[in-house]
Amino acid sequence: MTELVWIIPALPLAGFLTLAFFGRRLARPAVAWIGAGSVGLSAAAASVLAAAFMVNPPAGSSYTLTLWTWMSVGGFAPQISFYLDPLSIVFVLIITFVGFLIHLYSVEFMADDEGYSRFFAYMNLFIGSMLILVLAGDLLLLYLGWEGVGLCSYLLIGFWYRDPKNGLAARKAFIMTRVGDTAMAIGLFLLLKSFGTLNVQDLMAAASGQWSRGSALAAVSAALLLGGALGKSAQLPLQTWLPDAMAGPTPVSALIHAATMVTAGVYLIGRTHALFELAPVVMNAVAVIGAATLLVAGLSALAQTDIKRVLAYSTISQIGYMFLALGVGAWSAAIFHFVTHAFFKALLFLGAGAVILALDDEHDMTKMGGLRKKLPLVFWSFMAGAASLSALPLVSAGFYSKEMILWRSFVGWSGNPLLWAAGLAGAFITALYTFRMVFITFFGQPKSDVHRVPGWRMNLPLLVLACLSVAGGFVETPDTLGNVRIFSGFLRSVFQALPVRESLAGLELSLQIPAALAPLLGLLAAYLFYMTIPANGRRFSPAARGSRLRRFFFSGWGFDWLYDKLFVLPFIFAARKNRNDVADMVNRGIAAISLSANRGLSWTQSGMLRWYAIGIAAGAIIMIGLAVVL
Amino acid sequence: MTLVELHEMIPLLILGGAVVPLLLTVSFYRNLKLTVALTVLIFIAAFTSLFFAPKPVRTDGSLLSMDGYALFYIGLFLAASLVVALLSYGYVRERKDDCQEFYILLILATLGASVLAAANSFIPLFLGLEILSVSLYVLISYLRGFTRCIEAGVKYLILAAASSAFLLFGIALFYAECGTMDFKGISEILQIQGMPTPLLYAAFGLLFVGFGFKLAIVPFHMWTPDVYEGAPSPVTAYIATVSKGAVFSLLVRFFFIMGAHQYKKLLFLFSAIAVASMFTGNLLALRQENVKRVLAYSSIAHLGYLLVAFIAGGDLAVEAAAFYLVSYFITTLAAFGVVAALSGGERDADSIEDYRGLFWQRPWLAAALTAALLSLAGIPLTAGFLAKYYLVAAGMKARLWALVIILIINSAISIYYYLRIVAVMYAEPDAGQNAGRTAFSSSPAAGVALCVMTLLLVWIGVYPQTLITIINAVINYAYPF
Repeated sequence: MTELVWIIPALPLAGFLTLAFFGRRLARPAVAWIGAGSVGLSAAAASVLAAAFMVNPPAGSSYTLTLWTWMSVGGFAPQISFYLDPLSIVFVLIITFVGFLIHLYSVEFMADDEGYSRFFAYMNLFIGSMLILVLAGDLLLLYLGWEGVGLCSYLLIGFWYRDPKNGLAARKAFIMTRVGDTAMAIGLFLLLKSFGTLNVQDLMAAASGQWSRGSALAAVSAALLLGGALGKSAQLPLQTWLPDAMAGPTPVSALIHAATMVTAGVYLIGRTHALFELAPVVMNAVAVIGAATLLVAGLSALAQTDIKRVLAYSTISQIGYMFLALGVGAWSAAIFHFVTHAFFKALLFLGAGAVILALDDEHDMTKMGGLRKKLPLVFWSFMAGAASLSALPLVSAGFYSKEMILWRSFVGWSGNPLLWAAGLAGAFITALYTFRMVFITFFGQPKSDVHRVPGWRMNLPLLVLACLSVAGGFVETPDTLGNVRIFSGFLRSVFQALPVRESLAGLELSLQIPAALAPLLGLLAAYLFYMTIPANGRRFSPAARGSRLRRFFFSGWGFDWLYDKLFVLPFIFAARKNRNDVADMVNRGIAAISLSANRGLSWTQSGMLRWYAIGIAAGAIIMIGLAVVL
Repeated sequence: MTLVELHEMIPLLILGGAVVPLLLTVSFYRNLKLTVALTVLIFIAAFTSLFFAPKPVRTDGSLLSMDGYALFYIGLFLAASLVVALLSYGYVRERKDDCQEFYILLILATLGASVLAAANSFIPLFLGLEILSVSLYVLISYLRGFTRCIEAGVKYLILAAASSAFLLFGIALFYAECGTMDFKGISEILQIQGMPTPLLYAAFGLLFVGFGFKLAIVPFHMWTPDVYEGAPSPVTAYIATVSKGAVFSLLVRFFFIMGAHQYKKLLFLFSAIAVASMFTGNLLALRQENVKRVLAYSSIAHLGYLLVAFIAGGDLAVEAAAFYLVSYFITTLAAFGVVAALSGGERDADSIEDYRGLFWQRPWLAAALTAALLSLAGIPLTAGFLAKYYLVAAGMKARLWALVIILIINSAISIYYYLRIVAVMYAEPDAGQNAGRTAFSSSPAAGVALCVMTLLLVWIGVYPQTLITIINAVINYAYPF
């Protein structure tokens, strides 16, 4: 059964090829069937395969399908192989299922768009690339998927390319992630040089065997891989592209944020965790970056007025939680939060999309309000997602995963109270900005008319995701609340559980209480501030300018400004100074030399036979002369 | 001649023997379709017989050695000749009424090439070379209604004869010094001598004049563009592939048996030739407006690349050269196949302007030519990329840094003129410019051949392992050197 794993990525890729070549000639229903159907079939195949895997796990709880060896030259033999283990199964299931729901939603959402088949072609390629990324048994193949994902994000963010603004956002996403990708490529070269292979399992075994804990090479290669992860997952300091990525159609944002793209960094670190364990410095850096990112992005979300930008910053912040978990060695907690986040973030984006569509492409929250009555289903599902995002205790999936991260960040391998405090503060902020968004959008006085109410193809994904956002957390609960361990038990063969510091084990309940209270406090603060004084909501509009601090948060802590000053302006300055180009002189010089050499040589091709004969004779003389005299 | 030896010779016997009944058929019953069908059958039969070749026994002093190395190259030449036969069916038919002899000459030329691949002594070397050359003289000027064919044929005839004279003189010097024609015998004498005498060095030099002419490497390259341009397109494809491949396979065998890699002087000589060929070929192609001439210059450069692996020596070099030749054969046949398919009636479609906007009228042909040009340029996912990768790997292994860097610089230069043609093909066609375009002349046979070549080109680029396995298995089947 498991040997059919290739079908999972092959289906969306086949869908992509069909749509790319024949999309323009196909009718819209056919495009929808191929686009959404291929991902749906892929999801079905994934679930059958996962069931087979769980019922009858292969030896060593992993299975490698080697399709072929790409080439085998000089000891370097990268293989096109798929690696199936609990970690990749979790990712595959989330990618295909959430991906399918988003596709289904898009069938209706994009119905009036002229680029219908182009949209589904890109989306299918996106899913296919992400599946290749998570299934790859070799880092080279993983890199292919990695770059494929990058390409698709570029194509989809700039999907409405007629507006130059969208093109710029797409370019920004591409260039910012490219910074990380370069680091990652260098890391891959380093690993290849050190071990002569890029096969993940061989590599991890070799690294654990040959590099001691804390060795410099391990730290450098882990740091370089981390660079790639930071770019793709939009973490400090490479996070600035994600808020602008909202330029794409809303289902694209849902796909980028929930199922694909930004979670690639989390996956990469999880997949190569053995290497990171050898580099405690880098692990600490991961935890600190995660903690800093979740605070920075959370505070930025607090000041946004565009509903999608709130969600974008919240994604950065939630991925920050995952990085925090990875940094303290709580691998399965990070993956668990990835799963719940995929549910509720996809739900929130799709809900926001429904709102935006209903209000005729209105993104500004200050112009919304009172939608609770007009879009009841969207409202209730949005509430489920909001509860899960803010981790309201007991009733939401997000609570269980976030609680696990907070607990681990205190007692885990390299955890400490500071990281825990940052996470706790983040939990408060998360609830605050989430319910600020809910209250402004769905409560209060209606400010605009609803133009259309979503149909079943948009409602169904919302309902399914809402159920998952509420109930998805029960597969893993803390000791004090039933001690269910299905999720981490499934992942046990991938991640050896890192020890909890025993001296702190008794603290669990006393740490849980603040973790449960923080979101409630955030909800309460949001209620007091935005529900009782509706005018406060309006004060957040950029037109009102607001205080210095608010503007600072609104601009995402001024990172764009800083990068403008640090990199863009010096670059433009240098480019301007260099208008008559020092760098180009090399290229132009080569071209000019080549052309003049071409002219110089052309006369030898005179077409005259006697010339050619002289050429041979002269050549013979030179040959013999050199051979004899030298 | 023992029975085993006779058994070994079967592929050559099929080629040589089949010519007689074919000639008789042609004299009594002229039918082009039948002739082409018989030719194809003969090539297939000879190819099939390769699979039943006996395991060769190493007998010193035999004229031909049908070892794994020879079998591999003979197979390659047979396959390439088969493709040329298919490509030329529609092309020659349109230009000449009775053209059955064309195919007889093609078989004979292939026989010459096959003998070269197996030659173990100077006698079969010269015989094979002359069978190949004489057939080519006629093939090049076969369309005698066209003056440019006659011109190309005469040029090739005179220069090839001159270079053969050099070659013969070199052989004579070898015989004078060593008293034997056998490669193995000469190498033993060289072993005893330690360093070759000046006279032997001169003999090597003269021999390489002859080889260099056939391979079209600098400074013996000047005939190439004129002959490529004048000859019928399928014949040009044949010269570019089988003729060069045969001489190169011989050169590798000769060099290895002689143990000539220990003579630094010769390696230096070949390095200089390689560098000169790469630069000359690529620079001359830059502003060339004639596609067939561009391909001629590009072939000069490609032989220069190939020499890098040759100079590197070692096992990887044999493997790299074989891989490179296979992918170069496929690519070149595809490129000239498109040229032949586009050339109808009066003249060949050889001006770059003939290709303007081709994509919008004949997308499949344009796609095939694009794939071929990208492969020539060495862009990933085509056979040409892996072939070039192989060369670089072989060069790096032998620490030939300077040559490898020059190879890379030249690859960069070459991209310009390949992509120029590609860009022209995808440009919007001007209104009314089609008036000057020649008619198309593709036949179904050529279409199939072209399709297979293009698919192979991509397939090897994506999935090269099969080919690598075949090369290793066949060449090591009986390792010759």
